[in-house]
Amino acid sequence: MFWNEKEENISEEELLSLQLRRLAGAVERAGRSSYYGNLFAGKGLKGKKIKNLDDIRDFPFTTKDDLRESYPSGMLATSMDDIVRMHASSGTTGKSTLVFHTGRDISNWANIVARGLYAVGVRKSDIFQNMMSYGLFTGGLGLHYGAEKIGALVIPIGTGNTERQIDFFKDLGTTVIHVTPSYLLHMGHVLEEKGLSPSESFNIRIAIMGAEPHSEATRKKLEETFGIKVYNCYGLSEMNGPGVAFECTFQGGLHLWEDNYFAEIINPDTGQVLPEGEEGELVLTTLCREGMPIIRYRTKDITRFISGRCACGRTHRRIGRMKGRTDDMFIVKGVNIFPSQVETVLMETPGVDKNYMIILDRKEGLDILSVQIEIRRDFFRGDLYQLRDLQEKLRERLKHVILVTPSVELVEPGSLPVSTGKAKRVIDKRRL
Amino acid sequence: MGKQISIFVENKPGKVNKITGILEKAKINMKAMTIADSGSFGIIKLITDDNEKAFNILREKNFLVSFQNVVVVEIPDSVGAFHKVAKILEDRDINIEDAYGFIMEEGVKAALILKVAGADIPKVEEILEKNNYRSIEKFNV
Repeated sequence: MFWNEKEENISEEELLSLQLRRLAGAVERAGRSSYYGNLFAGKGLKGKKIKNLDDIRDFPFTTKDDLRESYPSGMLATSMDDIVRMHASSGTTGKSTLVFHTGRDISNWANIVARGLYAVGVRKSDIFQNMMSYGLFTGGLGLHYGAEKIGALVIPIGTGNTERQIDFFKDLGTTVIHVTPSYLLHMGHVLEEKGLSPSESFNIRIAIMGAEPHSEATRKKLEETFGIKVYNCYGLSEMNGPGVAFECTFQGGLHLWEDNYFAEIINPDTGQVLPEGEEGELVLTTLCREGMPIIRYRTKDITRFISGRCACGRTHRRIGRMKGRTDDMFIVKGVNIFPSQVETVLMETPGVDKNYMIILDRKEGLDILSVQIEIRRDFFRGDLYQLRDLQEKLRERLKHVILVTPSVELVEPGSLPVSTGKAKRVIDKRRL
Repeated sequence: MGKQISIFVENKPGKVNKITGILEKAKINMKAMTIADSGSFGIIKLITDDNEKAFNILREKNFLVSFQNVVVVEIPDSVGAFHKVAKILEDRDINIEDAYGFIMEEGVKAALILKVAGADIPKVEEILEKNNYRSIEKFNV
């Protein structure tokens, strides 16, 4: 069963020629932005035509830093007039990275999300409770538009408020949920405490999981607890957001929508493109995006192509579950955070000593980020108010930069690992 | 002007024990100790018979310590003695941020430690002196 059989069941030759045509267009459109315009001119790539898919390898990679440096609109390839939506994710050192979409971009995005949702069995008759954050973060709105496109009833409830989530499960007969694995685990516990059986009390059939890495064991556990099927969805805000790749009912990897993205797997150290099937960093080029085409974006996510055609019949190749990252990024409540962002805030705040630790934990299914700091000797006046003020100031400043409210813990001098440049600064106690 | 030692401590078992152990070893006699608590951490305030030495040794042991200016006066060890001082200060609109004390001689005299805004300290000392309260020099640094 296909959302659009022609697009999904496209023959390999047709897909390759479509990719070639679209890749040439993407490079040409990207060149209209000031960022790529200058870059291509500087590298002698101006006006270079893509004649076969490998020609893209002559083009430089784009990194998160490049996006940050082109803030706010250096990669914009159309007039601002044509833009209908902007999303943002937090940058590595404070500044956000912005992504602009035209009306057609939003519509294409909704189409591939609809494709993925349809592939796992979501239909017009479904009631889709979207338990992800709305706003600048792409998780909520991304799936929202796809589910609406299918014609499902979408409940834009967002995260948190477990009681209301449960009420809606019951009263509206929710059949599909979009949720982080940690939150769904938490809900399982809450329901059992209330004496409600997670598998028998509701009509939920399907859960879409995104934004948070989790293991196959967690998936199995959730499927058993709730008596549902759980499907993975992959995406990143630079490439629109969720829906870049989606599992089908066979759960044997995520179909990467190759008519919308040109994917390469590279050796993260050398930048060399790896033979198909080898594990490496996923690099993506937007094939259709008008507002902000991005060429060879280094996702920093480690995966591989799964060989062979999927039993579902879709031609688009599958990638494996993400194995990790090439950098030190971590994800809290679905938000991407780098230790360097936290460090910058700490170092700019008077009274904070140079050693710190970031502790990630989970309480009632929700992520908690704690930052432990030592106080500088010359700052301490022996005053409780002074320390509380410092805590409050840090909490506010960090929240502003990382978009998550941390807990700030003051610890005694000498209790944190000494800064040696290689000291481990993040402890992740979350189990998934 | 009197001094108290403020020590930053995490709110964990064994913290007080560690400090008292260090002071014992250094043969420093503790006169008074109070703890202000703020959840996961607190501040221990301390008066000893040798504040300078206590400060240095705690600092050597890597504690986060600081001196704070306080008023230390002698009052009678009798009912209503602190109230009299509090009344005098209230009449002059002086806010007492923190107060604690210890008995120096049972039924005879006690030391009262008052924390007031830094700018108020000389004024408080002067007022109390005029009312025949003696600053205890021994705890001054």
